[in-house]
Amino acid sequence: MFSVGINYLGAPALSILSLEAVSVCVDDRIIVRDVSLNINPGELHVIMEPNGAGKSTLLAAIMGLSHVRVCSGRILFSGVDITHFPSYERAKLGISLAHQVTPTFRGVRFLEVAKAISSRFNTDWRTLASLSNVEDLLLRDLFSGSSGGERKRAELYLALLQNPRVALLDEPDSGVDIDTLRVLAELIDYIVFTQGTSVILVTHLGPILEKLPRITRAHIMVEGAIVYSGDPSHVIPVILKHGYTRGLEVFGGEGG
Amino acid sequence: MGRAEIEKALSKPSPFGVDIDVSKYVVEEPSVEEFKALELEESVRRASTRLGFNGIRPSYIQVDQTALYTLLEKRLRGYGVTVIPLRIALEKTDLARRIAWRLVDPRNDKYTALAYLKGGELGYFIYVPPNVKVDIPIYACLVLKLERRAQLAHNVVYVDEGSEAHVVTGCAVPHGVREGLHVGITEFYVSKRARLTFSMIHAWSPGVHVRPRTAVYVEEGGEYAGYYITYNPLRSIQMYPVTSLQARAKAYSASVIVGLGSGDYDVGAKIVLEGSGASGEVVSRTLGLDESRITARAEIVGRARDSRGHIECLGLLVSEKSSIAAHPQIKSENPGSTLSYEAAIGRISREELEYLMSRGFTEDEAKSIIVRGFMKVDVPGLPEVVRRHVDRIVGAISKLAMR
Repeated sequence: MFSVGINYLGAPALSILSLEAVSVCVDDRIIVRDVSLNINPGELHVIMEPNGAGKSTLLAAIMGLSHVRVCSGRILFSGVDITHFPSYERAKLGISLAHQVTPTFRGVRFLEVAKAISSRFNTDWRTLASLSNVEDLLLRDLFSGSSGGERKRAELYLALLQNPRVALLDEPDSGVDIDTLRVLAELIDYIVFTQGTSVILVTHLGPILEKLPRITRAHIMVEGAIVYSGDPSHVIPVILKHGYTRGLEVFGGEGG
Repeated sequence: MGRAEIEKALSKPSPFGVDIDVSKYVVEEPSVEEFKALELEESVRRASTRLGFNGIRPSYIQVDQTALYTLLEKRLRGYGVTVIPLRIALEKTDLARRIAWRLVDPRNDKYTALAYLKGGELGYFIYVPPNVKVDIPIYACLVLKLERRAQLAHNVVYVDEGSEAHVVTGCAVPHGVREGLHVGITEFYVSKRARLTFSMIHAWSPGVHVRPRTAVYVEEGGEYAGYYITYNPLRSIQMYPVTSLQARAKAYSASVIVGLGSGDYDVGAKIVLEGSGASGEVVSRTLGLDESRITARAEIVGRARDSRGHIECLGLLVSEKSSIAAHPQIKSENPGSTLSYEAAIGRISREELEYLMSRGFTEDEAKSIIVRGFMKVDVPGLPEVVRRHVDRIVGAISKLAMR
């Protein structure tokens, strides 16, 4: 029931984000089951799931998106119970989500949205635009007419423009070109290990994992439940080599 | 062109927009007066404040049928720029006599005929000599102050070869004026390699009819950019300015329409690519609020080789009682002309709102960001000071969508 590091009085002082036995429902169907996680500042956690909507739904629940509902358990941010906070309150506290699917903003320039966010969070849109390699996109309509890689860079850029304390990255590596993969991995590595941002990254196949040298912990999710957590240097090579089914057999009984 | 023909046109409706009984409006006897900035009366000052003209000294002011002109600002004089009432220009300069009413035919409709016959040639005449880059905007302000009056203005602008100028015209009523008719005839001549931007800012009231009649002629290698924004209720507006482009000339036309109250908005722009290598773009952004009815028109005609044209008509319907129609039209008369358009009308989607809320904005703030972004159009060549001016207006508009 309790994952390592959580005591009966709540999260330890260090922890920035704690999930306590969180189950998440979409339209009264349970999609995420009983997940407990404890994230400390400057940690990079990876959740891998072969298929299914559990990992995205979990991030949506942490962000507080309205299409998902926490049906049991609690979400704590710096010890504060935010389980029922609206998404904009969570964003103001320091949580940001790089959405997997982004809506097209027809007639609205990327730059206008970037400026609105950077002004709200008092960040510098120019410098980050250069680091994220999105400068050429800023004068287009947001998320329109872009390639998969461009959309992912744009989305990570906006998520990081909030200067988050916890960044939730929903499959930032799906459908992207090799250059984008490198840019994304460098950015993630930078915010975690230079800025001390905590990151939960979810991925399906995980091409980005090979480019991230310093992952704190890897979790494997099956049918909405975390079935194994372990040292990434151990977990990731096994999964990438054997796939999920065989891989889990290898870990079988080891516990996480 | 005989006077009888023009008088006949006094009963000729415009093909677009609601028809207006112009006899309902009194046309005051036209007059021209000199003024000093400090003498401006309070109601005129308030009207100009509604346009964001605070702290701006217009080179031409027209209150109802009185043209007020002043000694031109020193820097504009330094450039050799002329800004005088057209009525005076027609007495004093050959150029004005030669070009007035050449681009707009008084027989077009009842409004052009009315302005020709009764307007007394009030309005501004601007001349920019060759090869000067006038980096400060030239402002004009037209105010309709009295009830049930028709204000008739005829503006002629000539930018000589290789020059650059920026004209900003604000038209408004002070709060409290309920009914009126504003007709503005504007003829722009952009000479070879010259550049002109023209921004028109309107702040009317629910009973005012507005009929601008604009024509633009751009010579070889010249550039013209027009920007129009209306963001207060009015009874009706109809305009369809036509820009004719010669070889390698460029034009950009942007209209930002905030439909309010029960106003009837019929706004568009037409560009004719007459010369080879000419290119034009017509952009409109319409926001349907309250019970407004909006028609966005656009037409580009390609008549020359290597010419290009593009139309973008985007509408955002906010109120269920409002309506938006878009009529983009492209016509090619030359195989070497490439023309395209896109038109879309939609609403602020739940997905967009939810997305922005996850970025730290309340629902109202999210709507405001979308509306502000949607209304913001980057007009090429617009000077920074004018850009900031219209950005401030757009910022204020974005709050309207939340009512």
